[in-house]
Amino acid sequence: MQRRDFLKNLGVGAAGAVILPSVSFAADAPKPKGSNALPYKDALNAVTGGKTPEVSDKVSLKVPEIAENGAVVPVTVEVESPMTDSDYVKAIHVFAAKNANSRCIDVYLSPANGKAMLATRIKLGETQEVVAVAELSNGKFLMASQSVKVTIGGCG
Amino acid sequence: MAKRKSLIKIKPKSFTDGEVVKVSFMVMHPMETGMRKDKKTKELIPAEYITKVVFEYNGKVITTMKVWESLSVNPVFTTYMKIDGAGVLKVIFTDSKGEVQETIEKIKPKG
Amino acid sequence: MRKGMRIVLCVALLSSLTFASEQFAMSDADRAMYEELLENNPADMLLAHGSELLEELGGESALAKYLGVSEDALAPYLAGFPRYIVKFKMVVSIDQMLQGMMHDSGQKPYTLKSSEMVNLSSYVKSIANDQQINIDINANEYMKEAYALGKVVFETKRGARGLSCLSCHNQSVIGSILRTQPLPDISAKGNASAATWPAYRMTKSALATLQKRFQGCMNNALLAVIPLGSKEMTALEVYFTEEAKGATIALPGLKR
Ligand code: HEC
Repeated sequence: MQRRDFLKNLGVGAAGAVILPSVSFAADAPKPKGSNALPYKDALNAVTGGKTPEVSDKVSLKVPEIAENGAVVPVTVEVESPMTDSDYVKAIHVFAAKNANSRCIDVYLSPANGKAMLATRIKLGETQEVVAVAELSNGKFLMASQSVKVTIGGCG
Repeated sequence: MAKRKSLIKIKPKSFTDGEVVKVSFMVMHPMETGMRKDKKTKELIPAEYITKVVFEYNGKVITTMKVWESLSVNPVFTTYMKIDGAGVLKVIFTDSKGEVQETIEKIKPKG
Repeated sequence: MRKGMRIVLCVALLSSLTFASEQFAMSDADRAMYEELLENNPADMLLAHGSELLEELGGESALAKYLGVSEDALAPYLAGFPRYIVKFKMVVSIDQMLQGMMHDSGQKPYTLKSSEMVNLSSYVKSIANDQQINIDINANEYMKEAYALGKVVFETKRGARGLSCLSCHNQSVIGSILRTQPLPDISAKGNASAATWPAYRMTKSALATLQKRFQGCMNNALLAVIPLGSKEMTALEVYFTEEAKGATIALPGLKR
């Protein structure tokens, strides 16, 4: 429906027949894996030493539901913590579960940060979960995750 | 290698001693994953990405970041920092080709 | 096969101007996140470089002097570009004016497409941040002419698909989805093109001027590309700037 309206608005009517240029495509090669490739499960285990992080609303992960452009996806992680010498967030880890190397960034904090927060921008090759893990000074791991839909885009 | 353009931004612009402020560091860096092909030559473009970013305030390390190739081109890193006297904030990054560069911002709390 | 399919899809969509099947509708929360990105726009680094380049030319005071205005009047004056400049005997955008300034001070001007000129002219336009666009297309016959020519360029159908800028940038199609992208409103309140370009394009990881953006659309829509700084290109910028008259300049912009 929308298509017809659009063409009408454009004033090109039915003349807009699809002419597919003859483009040949090489057979799809398997996705190359860089030397850093590490699946999410392994990357998570490497950080937590095999412990399963507890899903917690103390970790707030902000990512878009739909990414305008997979090459620049904003990510903000905030962890509720007093950030005192006896109780602080030691690290924030961000993972993109389906990227060949699922690790994005590991941020090591100290009470001198005053507040436990990280904001950055990541590349996502496809629709997937983004995971934030917080490592507390008492040795606990907390986490939050959210799925980000990556639309086609970027082909023009 | 010419110095890469970089910038440190502190929010709010004016702050007092003891205040917790937002600090952002950004740098013009290609963040090449090593898995992208040159459109013309069809050759893989060699990996070239930031591996480490350290925030140092008056000689004391405040934040250390281990960085991977999945960060966006021309990356931006934002965290908080508690103002603890006048001095300098130094942000030092290292990349996968061994390049090291530092960016400096003067810290001048009011009052 | 997925990659191959995707490319076919893109080509097909471009050549038939249909909608992508996948609807692109951004939630308010997502929009807020993308707006927050403006706080740390990578182009800030490039404008900082532009500011250094202007210092090499003598800074804002030298620029004001060159333009024959007081330093206080510089920002509102810059908010009125493109302008007819008597000593050039033509209507120019900020980048061409800066070429004139470099030339007149005995330096080799940066080319319009050089990164130095993009950084410098973007910084100079940003001196007018928070000012309202005050272009005056009735200031003289040259401005009147430029506006009229810009309108013709905007509305003339050309190229293999017989499209004009107006085909995709008119009130009745704004917001329609073309290849996952909503067609933008070039005179949108708070986001008018002439007030938000030069902008950092996230898809290109680069800063681009309004004229460079025009060339992007010409390429995509299969219209022969008009050169930067040509009479037609400047006229098109005059047209877009008039469409954004009164809008508050907020540079650098940040676009998809
Ligand atoms: C086939 C449809 C089409 C045609 C024809 C077209 N454009 Fe566009 N234009 C678009 C789309 C779609 C976008 C938004 C793309 C995006 O967000 O990446 C756009 C964006 C723009 C923008 C940026 C708007 C902003 O502020 O972000 C400008 C400026 C522009 N076009 C100018 C032109 C000019 C000048 C012409 C004629 C030479 C033209 N366009 C022809 C589809 C078109």
